[in-house]
Amino acid sequence: MNILTRFFKQIIHRGHNKPEDLSSVGELRKAFAHRYHNFKLLLTANNKALELMTNLENALEGSQSFGMSFVRANCTATAVNVFRIIKHLDELSPGKYTELYKSFKRIHADINSALEYRKTFHRSKLVLPIFEVNQDILDEVGAKMANVGVIKNTIGLPTPDGFVVTASGYERFVAHNDLQAEIYRRIQSMDKEGIEDLYRLSSDLQNLILGATLPSDLEDAILKAYQTLEASCGQGVRVSMRSSALGEDSSDTTFAGQFRSILNVSSESIIYSYKDVVASKYSLPAITYRFNRGIPDEDVAMCVGCMTMVNAQAGGVMYSCNPLNVRDRSILINSVWGLPKAVVDGSIDPDLFVISRNEPFEIIQKSIKEKRLEFVCFPEEGVCRRELTGKRRQTESISENQARELARMAVILEAYYGRPQDIEWAIGADGSIVILQCRPLQQLELPEIHENHKNSHRDICATVLASGGETASPGVGFGPVYIVRNDVDKLKFPPKSVLVTMQALPRWAPMLGSAVALITETGGITGHLANVSREFGVPAIFGLSGATETLTNGLEITVDADGRSLYLGKIESLLETKPSRKNLMVGSPIFEILKKVADLIVPLNLLDPDSADFHPGKCMTLHDITRFCHEKSVDEMFSFGKEHRFSERASKQLVCDVPMQWWILNLDDGFKQDVEGKFVQIDNIDSIPMLAIWEGITAVPWEGPPPVDAKGFMSVLMEATANPALDPAIRSAYSARNYFMISRNFCSLSSRFGFHFSTTEALVGLRSSENYVRFTFKGGAADLPRRRRRAQFVGEILEYFDFSVEIKEDNAFARAEGCNQEIMKEKLRVLGYLMIHTRQLDMVMSNDASITKYRQKIFDDINLKVLRLGTKQ
Amino acid sequence: MSEFKVLLVDDETDFVVPLSKRLRKRNLEVNSASSGQEALDYLSQSPCDVVVLDVKMPDMNGIETLRRIKEVAPLVEVIMLTGHANVEVAIEGMELGAFDYLMKPVEIDDLLYKLQDAYKKKSYRPIS
Repeated sequence: MNILTRFFKQIIHRGHNKPEDLSSVGELRKAFAHRYHNFKLLLTANNKALELMTNLENALEGSQSFGMSFVRANCTATAVNVFRIIKHLDELSPGKYTELYKSFKRIHADINSALEYRKTFHRSKLVLPIFEVNQDILDEVGAKMANVGVIKNTIGLPTPDGFVVTASGYERFVAHNDLQAEIYRRIQSMDKEGIEDLYRLSSDLQNLILGATLPSDLEDAILKAYQTLEASCGQGVRVSMRSSALGEDSSDTTFAGQFRSILNVSSESIIYSYKDVVASKYSLPAITYRFNRGIPDEDVAMCVGCMTMVNAQAGGVMYSCNPLNVRDRSILINSVWGLPKAVVDGSIDPDLFVISRNEPFEIIQKSIKEKRLEFVCFPEEGVCRRELTGKRRQTESISENQARELARMAVILEAYYGRPQDIEWAIGADGSIVILQCRPLQQLELPEIHENHKNSHRDICATVLASGGETASPGVGFGPVYIVRNDVDKLKFPPKSVLVTMQALPRWAPMLGSAVALITETGGITGHLANVSREFGVPAIFGLSGATETLTNGLEITVDADGRSLYLGKIESLLETKPSRKNLMVGSPIFEILKKVADLIVPLNLLDPDSADFHPGKCMTLHDITRFCHEKSVDEMFSFGKEHRFSERASKQLVCDVPMQWWILNLDDGFKQDVEGKFVQIDNIDSIPMLAIWEGITAVPWEGPPPVDAKGFMSVLMEATANPALDPAIRSAYSARNYFMISRNFCSLSSRFGFHFSTTEALVGLRSSENYVRFTFKGGAADLPRRRRRAQFVGEILEYFDFSVEIKEDNAFARAEGCNQEIMKEKLRVLGYLMIHTRQLDMVMSNDASITKYRQKIFDDINLKVLRLGTKQ
Repeated sequence: MSEFKVLLVDDETDFVVPLSKRLRKRNLEVNSASSGQEALDYLSQSPCDVVVLDVKMPDMNGIETLRRIKEVAPLVEVIMLTGHANVEVAIEGMELGAFDYLMKPVEIDDLLYKLQDAYKKKSYRPIS
């Protein structure tokens, strides 16, 4: 018997001359089965935890959108699985690692406080009259109503009279019904995240809010404020109810058109309309918008403005600057007959006035459109849509004098706020102008390149399908046409398509997250949909009449929004100028929360099991805990053989033709028949993953170490003398040889050939979703640059065979999971082959020609010999 | 013959009824209770291997129910299954001895594996 074997045997039986007091082999078997089951559960939890950490890491790249429910669900699941890992380790060796609970508690508390959103509670009146509203109480009334207050009380321009149901009022309402917890629960439980499911979720949540009751103090406060309004504005005065959400209309988020405004409301409908506006927090556009922009639910307290209704003869929206070009300072006015709603909704083509910004406000451009309809107030309640007939259709909806007066107001508002404004206005029955709302205008910095290629597109040799309309959002997009005429079409909208619609309705906004370009037949560039397309960086042409007729579904086109043209096919020269799509997640509140919690979960600090810092108290993250527990659990399983003199479960040496020593510990059902004595035949092995690895190991005989050049050999010598840790005699017995721990579906192999160390762990069975393979490969005898290159080399090969690979220094980590049994077996064969054939390759890793040669040989071997094994059987 | 006995505790019948059906098709004996109290009453009379417990229920919540289940039937394994993603509640449940804390929606087969694992754990429990 050689020295190593004797050494090994000593380790196994050291100090255990007396057998355990367990009364029978049956008891022992049961104890072993219990331990093994815990070990298996630990591994499953370990694997799950690592998978969840990968989810978090991927989300941190910021290229996908996610909500708080994603962050919470992943953190909760990670914490649960890490807790399970600790618990199962504690069952494996009771009392030995209890310090882990302390570390866990500490990290868990930090995660909790990072997730505990800094919710500021509002403590003001539930309702505030508009004359008490100013900029200082923005957090109580929302930006929209704060602006109305400022315009009325500070700037002194005319606005309607009214009051605001505050953020405190909103919180009172939500708390009274315990709505927030229920809302989270429903978002969390949602099955998929297709637009259809979002639809259902949106309608469920809105019904939940509409069905809730107002606490009596809130209801009283609202009705009392309305009575006060009646006293000054007349008995039975009709009102408009408008959303004024916190965070809405701040400079970089528009929330454009997501929430409901309810016009011409009578006194008996005020309370229901209030709930209706609050419910619109969960409209489909609002849910998808918050999701895409990473805004937490809690951040959006819904304040509601209640103002006297202006029975407008004309109305519209104006911009105090050109939104598409910072250098153009002219004022833009869109106007229609009746209420301004038709402009905001994009339902008709509005008149356009472009006005010079200085006295006497010269009218630079006037374009009077055919206005098909108008919105007017019903006498009782609500708003009706009226077809326009006769001359009025083509008549300008406001006079040039009114246009100049509006422009003057726009300049005053911009001067006060110090930046361009987007202003909604109306002209009352008596001809006077009233400002309804005002918010910062989203202006786009146009890169110079747009100016250039505006002129160059005439040179493009391509079929122009259509041109005209207005640039609502700049840029160039390419994709297949998809025409949306109704909500059913909307559900089927294929991502990465060109969205084509008749009208620029705000309800098309949810598709902009996945559209490459947008074309509408009607609608002005001051509408909500235009706002959202600019915010999301989706190129858009509005008012391109005939688009839905000219284009057909599936037709691939290039949309040049700057040149206002559609081309057949892909026009590369235009697409080159396309700026990359905005990444809206990075920097958002939810992204920041994710970063904070991921810092407590993902980083791995405990790298070296032999270091003194490899200790429960040194675990700084949940990843550290999983790493520590995994290492210890393998040790603990292995040491069972030491503690119990139990030949059935002692390790056996494998009898085989491969000239290396292989030791096998049967954890459970890894042998076909029980084995007495010290040896086991390969024919008696019943472990699916082990047999697959073994097939890979034996598929191609090893040709021995590669011929080494002098430098490579010197590098080995130098390293061996300088680094005592490389001395094999110092390493523990476990790592000093090839060691399998097996059951029918599980295999853990630690293998060490000289300085080359690899571990493979696999669970392979019929539960595909639990199947996994993890492989680590490190060390080597050569210097670090060569070892690194080898890790890189092995990593590249594994990546080719569909492993996820990570390289750190001279370590290669590879994993694969969730595949069915046959695919898992293939992967294990590849690993078995690589384990044998990549050792000592570090020595030739300085020579490019030899790297290429070995890579080719390895690919040939794997494709022609190793993977053929599966098909032969 | 069924593999083992499961009790589903959830106040949402829309969830419980189809889930019971699907688990029965997978050869489990499934009963259900629509509140914590009903679950405790059931467990005090009938043997059961694994309980699947919702966290958010009116009257007695899941955590309180779990605490009492562990008193009256300490050998029963409990899997929390909930739409409530809350780290604090989850860990509280785990500390009280829940076998796992799963979040809705859950794949039926993943739930089945968890049930099998929990049952196996119960049957391997060393006699103390």
